[in-house]
Amino acid sequence: MDSFLQHPAFQGGVAPFVAGLMVAAVLGRARLGGLAVAAGYAVAIALASGVAFSPLTALRKVALLALAAPLAGIAIDFALRSGRALVIVVAAVCGALTVWVFWSVLQHKVPAEAALLGGGAALYVAWLVVATMALSAAPVRAGAAALVLGLGTGISAILAASALLGLYGIGLAAGAGGFLLWQMVTGRTIAAGATLTLSVGLAGGLFGASALFLAKLPGYVPIVLALVPLAARLPVPPRFPIWAQAIVLSAYCFVLAVLAFVLTRQGVAPPA
Amino acid sequence: MHRKLAATALALPLAAGAQPATYEIDPDHTFPHFMIQHLGVSWMHGRFNKTSGKLVLDRAAKTGSVEVTIETASVDTGAHELRGRTRTRDEHLRTADFFNVQEFPTMTYKGSAKWNGEWPSEVQGQLTLLGVTRPVTLKVDSFGCAPDPRIKGKREVCGANASGSFKRSDFGMKFAIPGVSDEIRLQVQLEALRPL
Repeated sequence: MDSFLQHPAFQGGVAPFVAGLMVAAVLGRARLGGLAVAAGYAVAIALASGVAFSPLTALRKVALLALAAPLAGIAIDFALRSGRALVIVVAAVCGALTVWVFWSVLQHKVPAEAALLGGGAALYVAWLVVATMALSAAPVRAGAAALVLGLGTGISAILAASALLGLYGIGLAAGAGGFLLWQMVTGRTIAAGATLTLSVGLAGGLFGASALFLAKLPGYVPIVLALVPLAARLPVPPRFPIWAQAIVLSAYCFVLAVLAFVLTRQGVAPPA
Repeated sequence: MHRKLAATALALPLAAGAQPATYEIDPDHTFPHFMIQHLGVSWMHGRFNKTSGKLVLDRAAKTGSVEVTIETASVDTGAHELRGRTRTRDEHLRTADFFNVQEFPTMTYKGSAKWNGEWPSEVQGQLTLLGVTRPVTLKVDSFGCAPDPRIKGKREVCGANASGSFKRSDFGMKFAIPGVSDEIRLQVQLEALRPL
């Protein structure tokens, strides 16, 4: 049993997927189905590295913010009026938090490099928050973006030498897979809201930034991953059933993920 | 052999002084080696190639201390080929999965020596790794001091081999346990120099 629990496929794939599917099934009617994605990566984090916050390392700050993101999303969905101004404020806060997360890494670098890396990572996370929150009212599109952003980040992180960050990203994708599959099977959409999209934008962004800072992810790969939420906005035939929409939208996004894999592979281990 | 070294060192006029003597660690002859069990079947060896620090000895008072700073990015397990992968094992060890070298470029060990007879027999110290400080005791397997013959005895060299173990999970390094064991065994080879 222990060896099963410790298998990476279970930690990053099976368990997060089951958690995401169960959350979508149980909480979907209560407009909390968007928690499926956070359930996915929370399970992956708990199984792969445990939940601890002392000392508060960069990776633990990532976990802390990833776990806090769905709570902030619920507050936005249920207590605040979501609008463009709020999204911009949330994105700016997430960008600032990104600098806080990686401050312990940035302080070892020369100021110009620290400013470039810190600013770039903050911009990446802030952009992902804006771009994913724009999908809040489109649960299938949001689910497809989450699925592929998680896979793209996770597999790129593995190629960039960090299996742990890979499991985090794939855990996010697995939770999104549960969220999407429940909609595909039932033929009914589940509210995504900021509960899902803020979780995807912030956690997905921080996982990618972590692979940049703490592993070997080339700096241009996040630029490709940043386009995933835009690909999820491409048109699909309106009469397509939900399952077909999910497949088509995921396929659009997956093109970018494949490009990210190729660029990562070329960047970290160029062919001889 | 060690008794000979000890006798030689005691014969040094300055070595017999009562003042504590400070020795700079010789990075070319100081390597913290570690062993870690892989898949439960073998103990893999690795080491850190860059160290610095000092050793303080007061032979009259039979006290001593050691401070070693280890550059985590210098981890070297001998697997330098990609073999179809996108990273070497050492590159993986440098990521946040293990030593997280970008955030924690160094680890340190600071300890004080317990003596048994003429020489230290044990170092009770604190290892700081990944921002966590925990006690780690090293058994001194051998210790000796002697005039450095390479420069005609114008400096003294002291050297030791010490061993110990700790659990990496105590320092928050939990990735891939138990496939890569929680227990890490240490064998430290140290030399330190002092002008005479």
